[in-house]
Formats: sequence, C-alpha cells, structure tokens
Amino acid sequence: MSLRQWMRGGALRFLMVFWALAVLVPHSGASAAEDLGTLVTELGAASLSKKQAVVDRMVATGAPEVVPILEALVGRDLYTRKSDGVVVIGQKTSGGKLLLTDPLTGSEVGTVGSREVKRIKTNNRLRSSVKAVMGTLTLMSPDPQRRLEAADGLLKSSDQAMLPLIETALAKEADAAVKNALQLAKASIKLQSDSAEERLAAVQSLADRTDPESRVMLSRLLLKDGDVWREPDEMVRATAGKTLASMESRLEMWRTVEHLYQGISLGSVLLLAAMGLAITFGVMGVINMAHGEMVMLGAYTTFVVQEVFRSVAPGLFDWSLAVALPAAFLMSALVGIAMERGCIRFLYGRPLETLLATWGISLVLQQTVRSIFGPTNREVGAPEWMQGAMESVAGITLTYNRLWIILFSFCVLGAVLLVLKKTAFGLQMRAVTQNREMARAMGIPTGRVDAMTFGLGSGIAGIAGVALSQIDNVSPNLGQAYIVDSFMVVVFGGVGNLWGAFAGAMSLGVVNKLLEPWAGAVLGKILVLVAIILFIQKRPRGLFALRGRAVES
Amino acid sequence: MGKLTKWKSALAATAFGLAATAGMGAAQAADTIKVGILHSLSGTMAISETTLKDAMLMLIDEQNKKGGLLGMKLEPVVVDPASDWPLFAEKARELISKDGVSVTFGCWTSVSRKSVLPVFEELNGMLFYPVQYEGEESSRNVFYTGAAPNQQAVPAVDYLLGEEGGEAKRIVLLGTDYVYPRTTNKILRSYLNAKGIADADIMENYTPFGHSDWQTIVAQVKEFASQGKKTAVVSTINGDANVPFYKELANQGIKAEDIPVVAFSVGEEELAGLDAGPLVGHLAAWNYFMSVDTPENDAFIKAWHAFIKDEKRVTNDPMEAHYIGFKMWVQAVEQAGTTDVDAVRQAMYGQTVKNLTGGVAVMNTNHHLSKPVLIGEILEDGQFEIVSATDDVVVGDAWSDFIPESAKLTADWTYPWVCGNCEKPRF
Amino acid sequence: MSLLQRLYAPQAQEPGKGRLASAVLLSVLAAIAVLVPLLNLTVPADSAFHVPTYLVSLLGKYLCFAMLALSIDLIWGFCGILSLGHGAFFALGGYAMGMYMMRQIGDRGVYGNAELPDFMVFLNWKELPWYWYGFDFFPFAVVMALFVPGLLAFVFGWLTFRSRVSGVYLSIITQAMTYALMLAFFRNDMGFGGNNGLTDFKDLLGFDLQSDNTRAVLLAATCVALAGCYLMCRSIVASKLGRLITAIRDDEARVRFLGYRVENFKLFVFVLSAMIAGLAGALYVPQVGIINPGEFAPANSIEAVIWVAIGGRGTLYGAIAGGVLVNYAKTVLTGVIPEIWLFALGGMFIAVTLFFPKGLVGSLPAAVDWVKRRIGKRNPPASSSLAEEPGQ
Repeated sequence: MSLRQWMRGGALRFLMVFWALAVLVPHSGASAAEDLGTLVTELGAASLSKKQAVVDRMVATGAPEVVPILEALVGRDLYTRKSDGVVVIGQKTSGGKLLLTDPLTGSEVGTVGSREVKRIKTNNRLRSSVKAVMGTLTLMSPDPQRRLEAADGLLKSSDQAMLPLIETALAKEADAAVKNALQLAKASIKLQSDSAEERLAAVQSLADRTDPESRVMLSRLLLKDGDVWREPDEMVRATAGKTLASMESRLEMWRTVEHLYQGISLGSVLLLAAMGLAITFGVMGVINMAHGEMVMLGAYTTFVVQEVFRSVAPGLFDWSLAVALPAAFLMSALVGIAMERGCIRFLYGRPLETLLATWGISLVLQQTVRSIFGPTNREVGAPEWMQGAMESVAGITLTYNRLWIILFSFCVLGAVLLVLKKTAFGLQMRAVTQNREMARAMGIPTGRVDAMTFGLGSGIAGIAGVALSQIDNVSPNLGQAYIVDSFMVVVFGGVGNLWGAFAGAMSLGVVNKLLEPWAGAVLGKILVLVAIILFIQKRPRGLFALRGRAVES
Repeated sequence: MGKLTKWKSALAATAFGLAATAGMGAAQAADTIKVGILHSLSGTMAISETTLKDAMLMLIDEQNKKGGLLGMKLEPVVVDPASDWPLFAEKARELISKDGVSVTFGCWTSVSRKSVLPVFEELNGMLFYPVQYEGEESSRNVFYTGAAPNQQAVPAVDYLLGEEGGEAKRIVLLGTDYVYPRTTNKILRSYLNAKGIADADIMENYTPFGHSDWQTIVAQVKEFASQGKKTAVVSTINGDANVPFYKELANQGIKAEDIPVVAFSVGEEELAGLDAGPLVGHLAAWNYFMSVDTPENDAFIKAWHAFIKDEKRVTNDPMEAHYIGFKMWVQAVEQAGTTDVDAVRQAMYGQTVKNLTGGVAVMNTNHHLSKPVLIGEILEDGQFEIVSATDDVVVGDAWSDFIPESAKLTADWTYPWVCGNCEKPRF
Repeated sequence: MSLLQRLYAPQAQEPGKGRLASAVLLSVLAAIAVLVPLLNLTVPADSAFHVPTYLVSLLGKYLCFAMLALSIDLIWGFCGILSLGHGAFFALGGYAMGMYMMRQIGDRGVYGNAELPDFMVFLNWKELPWYWYGFDFFPFAVVMALFVPGLLAFVFGWLTFRSRVSGVYLSIITQAMTYALMLAFFRNDMGFGGNNGLTDFKDLLGFDLQSDNTRAVLLAATCVALAGCYLMCRSIVASKLGRLITAIRDDEARVRFLGYRVENFKLFVFVLSAMIAGLAGALYVPQVGIINPGEFAPANSIEAVIWVAIGGRGTLYGAIAGGVLVNYAKTVLTGVIPEIWLFALGGMFIAVTLFFPKGLVGSLPAAVDWVKRRIGKRNPPASSSLAEEPGQ
C-alpha cells in the first residue's frame, strides 16, 4: 500500500495527519491559505538553501497532496520539465524513459526522455528534515519498515509536540525494533523537557542500553558551550555521566566479541581463498601462483551470471548467487584442468618449476580477463538477503554478508573434507598423493586423478571468488591481492592439511583483528607476518605437520 | 629526433646486440607530430589509467579528423609503464629521446609523476598530468590539469562545515597511507583548526594500499560519531580500497544523512564497480561530473560512447582534465606555430578552454588551472547530483597556504619570477 | 657417484665450458664498460656510432638486475635455497644509497631546508631521525648498502637455517619477510618517504646525476662491480666450499651426517648473496633515479627468480643473461605491444619452463646437439642430457 493510498484511506487518518501537520508548524494559521500549486512551482525554482523554507510553507498548507510530493522529493522523483518549467513527478519506465504525473492531481501527463526534465535537487540536510516531517505522517503505517523510518525521523526532529503521538504509538506497537526506536525518540524528547526531574527520568530510562544513539544523547548532556553546560542541572549531569560510564564498560566486553567476530570473518575469507591452495599446493605440491587468478575467474563468472539474470530475469536476481556458485566452480575447475593437462603435468616432481610456469599462466589469465572485460571494476550486486546488518542489543554490528561468508566457508570446508574422506575419488586422490607408483600399480588412473584434483582445488578457488565478489573489487587484480595471504595461511597451518588451513586462517584472522585497534591496520599486518616468520622457526612444518614419507621428499 | 639519428642509434645499438630496441622506433615518418601517452595498461593502476589512454586516443583521433595540427597528423605513441615506478622513468626517457614525442600526457599516482619528473626536466619535455594531487610542486616541464588541494579538499570541507552540508563538528580523515592523503589531511587539519575544530574532534586514520577489510575502521568511525556532535568523514582512500570500504559502510548501515562521507578519489568510474544504492547521499568533490547538463558535456559523452563502442562507459574528472589539457596544448601549438617545447610553454600561459561543466578554464603561470569546484551527492545509478558549486573558477594553488613552509613559496614561470618554488622573484 | 666422490671430484659441469662462458661474459662486460661510455660521450650525436644516453641508463639498469639475478643463482642454483624475498636485500641496498643522495640534496629541495629532506618537512618532522645519521658520508652509505642487507640476511638465515626450515617453507617465509618490509616502508611514519620513496636526487659525490659523464661512469662502475661479483661467485663455487654447498643442495642430510655444520655454510652463502643484491640495489638507484617500497613487492622477487630460471640456473653466467634478456624483452614489449605484452611475457615464462627446463643458456649445448643431429642424421640420438635436477 503506497502512502497515497493510505492517505486516502479514511477521514480519521486525514484528520490525524492534519493535526500532525498543524502541531508541526506553529505559525500554520497565517499561511494556510497559500496555494499549493504556486508553492510547488516555487519549490522547483528555489535554490537548495531556499527549498527548506518552501517545504515548510507547503507543510503549512495542510493539504494532503503535500505528502506524495514530499515523498517524491525525498525519493528524487520530482522533476521540472525543461520545456515549460512545470513541476512533475517522474517514474522510470522499462524503456529508460520517464512517465510523468501531475503532483497535485496525480494524472498522467506524458512520457519523456531523461534529458528533457531536470531533477529537483535535494541534499542530505533537506532530505533529513523532510523525513523527520514525514515521520509524523507514517507512524501508523501498517508496514513496520515504514514505522521504523518514521520513528527514526521522530528521533531526528525530537519535537516536544510529538510526545502524545509517540505515547499512543508506543501503546499499540508490537514490533520490537520500532518500539525500541520509539522509546529512543521519547527519551530524546523528554531530555529537552524543562523539568529536571523529567530529564533525569529520561536519562535513567536509557540506562540499560548501549546503542550509539543513546550514547550520543547522553554525551550531549555533558558538553559545554563556551563556559555554560548544556545541561544546567548537576544531578542530571552526574547521572548521565555515570550511566554513560557503565554503558562504556559493558560495551568494552561486547567490543571484544565484535573484534572476535571480525577476526573470524577475516579468517573465513582467508580460509576460502586458501582452501583451494591447500589442495593444489598442499596435497599436490604444485606452487600454484595462478591460484589467485582462479579466484578472480570465479568472481568474473559471478559477474557474468548476474548480467544474464539482470537482462533475462531481473525478478530472480536474489537467486543469482545460487547459479553463480556451480558456474564458478565449473569455470575455474575447467581452466584448472586445462592448466594441469596442458602444462603442469609435465612438471611433477619439480615444484619450483611449477612456480615459474604458473606465474606465467597467471600473467596470461590476468591479461585475458583485462582484454575481455576491460581493466575497470565490474559491478557484482548483493542479493537482498546479504545486505545490511544485524544490530544486536549491545550496539555491535554483525553484517549479513560477512555472516553468510563465515557460514559458507564452513560449509565448503565440510564439503571438501567429505569429498576427500568419503568418496572413491577422495580415496584415489589421497592414494596418488601418498604413493604415485603404488597407486598406479593398483590400477588407479593417476593422470586423471591428478587432473581432477587440480580441478577440485581450482574449482574451490572459483567459489571463493563468488564470496569475495561480495566484499571486494571485481577487477583483474583481484587474485593478486590474496595470493600472498593464501600462501601464508597454508604454510602457517601446515602444508597438506585442510584442518591446518582452517586453524591457520582463523588464527591469522583473529590475531590480525585483535591487533588492529591498537596497532593500526598496517602495523598489525606487519606484526602478523613477523609472527609467522618466527612461528615457522619453532615449527618448521607449520601448525599441523604432516608425518610420513611425503614429508621427506 | 630526426630520421638520420634514429637510424644511427639503431646501428650503434645493433653493435651491442640490441637491434630490436632501436629498430622499433626507426620506422618514423617525419610529417607527423608525436604525442606520448604514458599510462599504465597493466598492473594495479591499469584500472584507472587505461580509460585515460583511451580518452587520449579519442581526442587525438578527433583532432586528426579536423585536419591534424600545423598541417600534420598527430601520431599517438602508447607505451605501458605497467604500474612500475622506475619503469615510468624509463618509458618517459624512451618517449622523449627515442620516439621524439612533442608532448606527453600521462601518469596517475604521485609517485609515478615524481619518478618521471627528473627525466622531463633533464630532457626538457612537456608532461600533462591530469589527476587531482597533493600540490607542493611546480615543475617547468609539467602542466597540472587536475585539482590542487584548494580546488577540491578545502571547498569540500567548507561544504561539510556549512549549513547546507550539515554543520559538521567532528571530522574523520580516512586515507590510504601515501603522500596525497597525508598532505591533504595535513592541509585540512590546519584548515579545520583555523575554523575552530579542535584536534580532539579530528580522527585521522591511514590504511595500506588495496586495504580490503574495513570492519574495524568503519566500526571505529561509528564509535567516533557517537560522541554527540555531528560527524562527517573526509576520505582520501585510494582506488581499489574504495569498493570494499563503501560495501562495509553500506552494510554497517551508515547513512549519508547521519555521517556523510565526502571522497576525493571516488568518481563515476569507481562507482561503476559497485551497487550505488546504499551509498546514495554520500559526497564527492571534483571539477567535473558526468551528470552536468551542458551541450559540451553531451557532445563529449556522445563522442566517448561512439569511440569506445559501449554506451555504458562513464566519463570522469581526469578525462576532462586531459580534454582541457589537450585542447590547450593544441591551441598553444597553433599559436606558437611549432611544437618546440619552450615556445609552446610560453604560449600555454593564459590559454583558455571551455570547461565541459560550463565556465572557462585558464592555464595560469604556476602551471595549474583555474577550474570550478563541484560537490555532488551519489545517486542510485552511480552518477552524481551537484549540490554545491563555486560561483566562479578557483585558481589552482601549487603551494598550500596552510602549510607554513609552503605558504611562503610562489610558483610563477613568467618574468620576473621564472621559478617553481621561490620566496622572491629571480629577476 | 658417492657423496665423497662428488665433494672432491671436479665440478659436474665441464670446466672448459664454464671457462669459455666466463671469458665471453667478462669480455662483453669490459666492452660495455669501455665502449658504450666512449661512444656515448665522444662520438657526436649524429654519427652512426653514437650511443644515445637512454641506452646507457637502460644498460646500467639491466646490469643491476643481472647482478641481482647472479646473487639469486648463487644461493638457488648452487645451494638450493630458493629465496622469494631477494628483492628486499636489493631494495635495502637501494635505500642506503638513496638516503645518501637525499642528504646530498641539501638545501636544494623545494622547501630549501638544509636539515631535512622535503618529505620530512611536509610531515612536520622537526629533526632528522637517528637512523639517518651518517648518511651524509658516501663511504658510510656504501658500507650500509652492504651491511644492512647482510645483517638482515644473517638474522633471518641464522634463525631459519638453524631450525632447518627448508624448501617451500623457506621460500614462503622469505616472501613474508619482503612483504612485511614493503608494508613497513609504505608507512610514512617510518621516515623513508612512504609510497613515494626517495627521489629527486641531484648528485653523487658531487657529480651531477643528469650529466652524461656521470651516467657513463656509473655504467662502467656497474660493469666492474658485476664482473667482480661474478668472479667472486665463480671462485667460490669452484672452491672446496663451493663443492660443499653444492652437496648441501643435492643432499643436505648426508652432508650433515658427514659432520659439517650445514647451517653455517648456508648462512655464509646467504649473507654473501644478500650483500651482492644490496650492492646491485645501491648501483641501481642512482641510475633510475628513484627507490620506493614497490621494490619490496613479492612479485618483484618472484620475477627475479624467473630471470634466473630463464637464463639457466646453476651457471652464474646464465643468471646474468636471463636478467638482461627478460628485462630487455620487457622494455621492447611494453613499447611495441603495450596492450598485450603480458601475453608475450607470460607465454615466454611458460614456454621456457616447459621446453627449456635448464634455461636458455643451459639448453644451448642441447640445442647445438640437436642442430648437429639434424645435419648429420646418421648419428644415433644422444641420450637426453637432462642432468640431475637440483633437489628441493
């Protein structure tokens, strides 16, 4: 239900809106008679700094048509037609054109190209204040998302006159997030009250929270303008200070949790990037410098799949990653198998030669991608369910895309372990790695197994590319950024051991993120690298050293 | 370099078993004017610089269609310095002494410019440098067509502090750890101090090139912003690191209305690599935006699309800088009647070219341009909506007034100064 | 062949061939050192025999890279230590020389500050950091260019060889070392100029760096240094010590069981190699005019290893040839086919590894054989001349 439909819903709502508008603008009586049509034209012509005043006067008219106009303004759908300077609302049509409607009557007035109209500009400040005004109007909307926005708007405007409206809404509200936001808005308004007691009560009502907004409110009370305290009452100040301090101490613990989460998230990215390498390098002994390019190929496959979705089935875009995963796996695996058959198989037993050849391959692959897709970044979109973040009660943020990547990396690890331990191919693969001659004598087609193993490692790198496309650039340089880190993870964890790669990635990620807040990003990374060098002295074969014949060679 | 010397150098080189080096430049027709294009086509900077190479090829192509210059065709000489800074110097030398180019358009990073600078000065070449940079330099042999800090950073901060920008009281200076962000932030810090913002309300943070994990820093920014004062972020984050930064910003729910981020290195090209939806309202300061609605800009975009054969490609500020630089060079050559570097340099001063965004760019005697400054908000389609523009063009200042050692220096390459960094005139 | 035999037997290579190659290499170097400067300075620019200045600095650059390749070949080709971080030693040597030349600028910098280099002035530094002391003196800088890489190699090698880190583990942590150094030098707070590094040098020992004379002398000095290093490496690998390190390469455990302190020998060669790399860096910087953290990039070190592999490892002269050839190819390709040169370079790496496993120089004899066979088809095919591959 659009706002306009809702507005037309009934007289009661209309009255409420009118009342809300009236309380918002104290001097509404005098200017209520202004003609909305002229005001809209004025809005189109006014400079950015003057628009605020025009908006205020529009609101003051109290006309219900104001709401859709303001909504269009905030949504950047309000235009002036270049030919005659008339203000219109434009909706994008599928052909890249704009369907124009009259803002006052809502009737269609034609379709034009985008260069024939001029958008009425807004800036952050104007949008912010218009949203605050709109907050009062949409607080009773059935859509919780809108109510949430409305509550945020109320928090921003913090208008005393809105208190009764908030109380009414609070009594009815069932959605926790909206309720939370409304309580914040209420506290914020009460903090402006003239009575010190009310302000004190408001401070106390915030005691259980740790979110940034309430901390902003409290710390504002402790600010001085010149020599004058913003909060005149000493008691309120003292309580606010105490509350803030207790918030901070509670936050301290949560921050450690947040750093751990960030560390695990970085670790899972490293794990994804390194897992394929743990197979090609760790299991097969191929120093695959083109590993990063396999990751890059996966990311570009995601881009291609999404382009197809965008043009064929835009409605199913959220499913694009589900298609991109197998596609990226296949793509990288095929390139990997081609690499193995065409080049690497001639180099077994000479691991350092594989370094040279795969370095050459990586240059060629980079340039190929650059020639096909161009050198610039490509846009890979995030599906709806990967956008945004989970704001926990403690005010720490867990972003959904990272959450999914953590889960995903664990799933991939599990799947690879299963393949290695439970399938016939995994058995053959381990046999060939451990003793090639014997495996061949037992009738295992070693050549095919080699190719498949390399394909598996490359394919995993490919699906890592799908995940990385969600957090990083999709450019020909993507792979280069991860290759050194991947090698560190594999070597640190212990070559030839997936659990080693897991432990290596996680510990590097967590240590890095725990160091970062006090050492800074660069120094933190340097310290981690030095730590790896020193660690290898202690355990020259990594965290989980392989024992057996393979080690000696 | 004439045909004869070419051939002779070829002979000499052959004597040392280097036949191919010399052979490659030997086939040179004397009736063309050579224009060097020194932009990385591979390596980390290819992402930004390749576009500029294409833009230059387009401009040269257009000029040739108009009949060339001084009755001769222009011949582009493209080389790839591969984002390798010493290779930049080598290629610059190759362009000037072996290929004999009359002018070079190139470089993106400051370090690449610093690397080629001695070469251009030694061989008296001419370089047009199209990217916004930290200033603190004025070479006789370089024309800086990008923005100096006073043409980008300072107006952007003015906007943030002003009523329209939300009257920010706390500023976060985020940057990649290299000379451009360091210098810009130093200038900004002293400017902010002058505007009454104490050091306690300024947070400065540097990250390495290509930094991709922004979780901690974005969380720190949120934390810094929760101290009760309106906070804004000034970003000098370089190229590659921007996409993950903005993705993290969007995911952690930082909205432009609460904490606006103004960037100096994010343009249409960078935004083309990500979904701009969640970034709507964040800002960038440039001298050019593709969305500007002027006939010149429309024509430029149309020509670009036709040349690159892709309707989706965007235009950006450094492209306009090359456009202005190239037009000015063409005019100066016509005026001087020769491509001789010294004559063209004299003719460059005071050259005017219509900006693509309206108004007129002027080449000043400090080798920097006068250009308008625009501030735009990011739109959903990755374009910018201009929310603030200077009334008039701003004169590029080689030496910032906000760094004490630099405030006393003047760059003026005409009589009586004839100097890039002097405290008093030479003559 | 038993290990003892191998230790005291003549080199696996036919000595005659090595001697011939050495003679060729040294005479080419001598010719470059004498003729190029002569033809550049004395022959008028329009003469057929004039060598243009850009060729002089290009040659100088190639020879510095060749020296880096030589240092890698010494430890990789003869001692089996694959360092993927040798660029770090090269860059450190370069920084030492760069710091000296920064000090030489004096008050000719843009801010006219005689006390501090420009980048420190605009970072608001008040005084010179202690580690810049002494770099006003050329001898100190030269000593540092050798000492700092040597010290780093000593500390690093002492740790790693003692704990018997070897093979790919060693390679990867050398990469970690150079990567960490790169990040460190990128930091402006380190006081080495950050990303821009050190540049805008004016002169060396009072000689203008932009004059052709200085360039010519630098080229000659590089030739002399390269020839000297080559002779030194040659004499080392030909000595008993050389046989010992070759033995370490081929079977470290056996050498250890014979009672040798393997780690000490490895450490010695590693430090020596790092110092040669440092010297190469010190000669490189005045000729290209810039040193910055990009030289520490792991990719650069890997590329240097590839030069050695392409030239032919374990020959010393092969490494020098590889260093010059690959860089020459890069110069040509980035100019002639700028859009697709990576295809050519990458293809070259792949082709050499697949078809010339012993490198171009190492494959020369086989190529000669092949040609001979083609000519005289009656001869029975010679057995594959693939010698035992150096162990890893």
